[in-house]
Amino acid sequence: MNQATLPNPGQHFSFTTHSKNIPGNLAIWAAILSEMSEFAVMFIVYFIARVHNPELFFEGPTRLNTLAGTANTLIMLSSSFFVVRSVMAVRDDQLKAATRWLWGAVACGILYLIIKYLEYRWNAAQGLETETNIFYGVYYYVTFNHFLHVGWGTAGLVWVIYRINSGFYTKTEHEGLVNMALYWHMIDLAWITIFPLLYVIR
Amino acid sequence: MTKQAEIKLIDTLWIVLICLTLFSAWMAERAEPGFISIVIMAAVLAIKGRIIVDHFMELKHANKFIRTLMRAYFYVIPALIIIVYLYPDQIARWTSLS
Repeated sequence: MNQATLPNPGQHFSFTTHSKNIPGNLAIWAAILSEMSEFAVMFIVYFIARVHNPELFFEGPTRLNTLAGTANTLIMLSSSFFVVRSVMAVRDDQLKAATRWLWGAVACGILYLIIKYLEYRWNAAQGLETETNIFYGVYYYVTFNHFLHVGWGTAGLVWVIYRINSGFYTKTEHEGLVNMALYWHMIDLAWITIFPLLYVIR
Repeated sequence: MTKQAEIKLIDTLWIVLICLTLFSAWMAERAEPGFISIVIMAAVLAIKGRIIVDHFMELKHANKFIRTLMRAYFYVIPALIIIVYLYPDQIARWTSLS
């Protein structure tokens, strides 16, 4: 093996391939594409369950809390917007502003989790549970899976705030922040797909 | 694009996404279920997905392979919404084991 191609110990190493013009690095794209595939499988399950149970899927969305679904969509989109503004602020060397935008996104993540929890409780009070019928089975499987992603995604946002405050990122070197931003947008993309499928389309 | 123009574009797109979501919510509550509303919902999803992929993930001028995969997602899912609405019986037959 040619020794010249190996990074020296202690030298900054990353998977970034600037020449190929990839935002973040290849590792995060492998993760994002895997996650998108996982959600795609769930959406295929939804479509197949739907064609076999048209009445249940026609009635299902009417008994869900549209307000909670809509509020969480607005919250997810806003959190993604805050994350974009945070990356822009870092590029502009405005690290304080960048952390403020990120705290906004963290607040959105926490608010999302609270609303989802209240929605599940509201559902339970209406007698809507995983066993009620296959529509609610799919609903709980998909939305709880997404709920977990928002949970660890929010923790990831707190981690990059810590990294900014610890001086790990600069105007030119902030790949970790971009990776986290991309991962968060993936969580947002999954939700904007879930919202029409489960709450709107009949 | 200047920094100010970039910020303005992102702010505008955020407002567009919010408006599209409020429109979807209105449709969920008020619109009559039917083919037209299914096509509108699929189109709204395609537009929202494309805005996030192109501008929030900054893939518009990035690596072609990743951009194509991510954009394709928001052609395929909206198309499936329409196809599943139009041909439910046929798809049910294809996905039956017996």
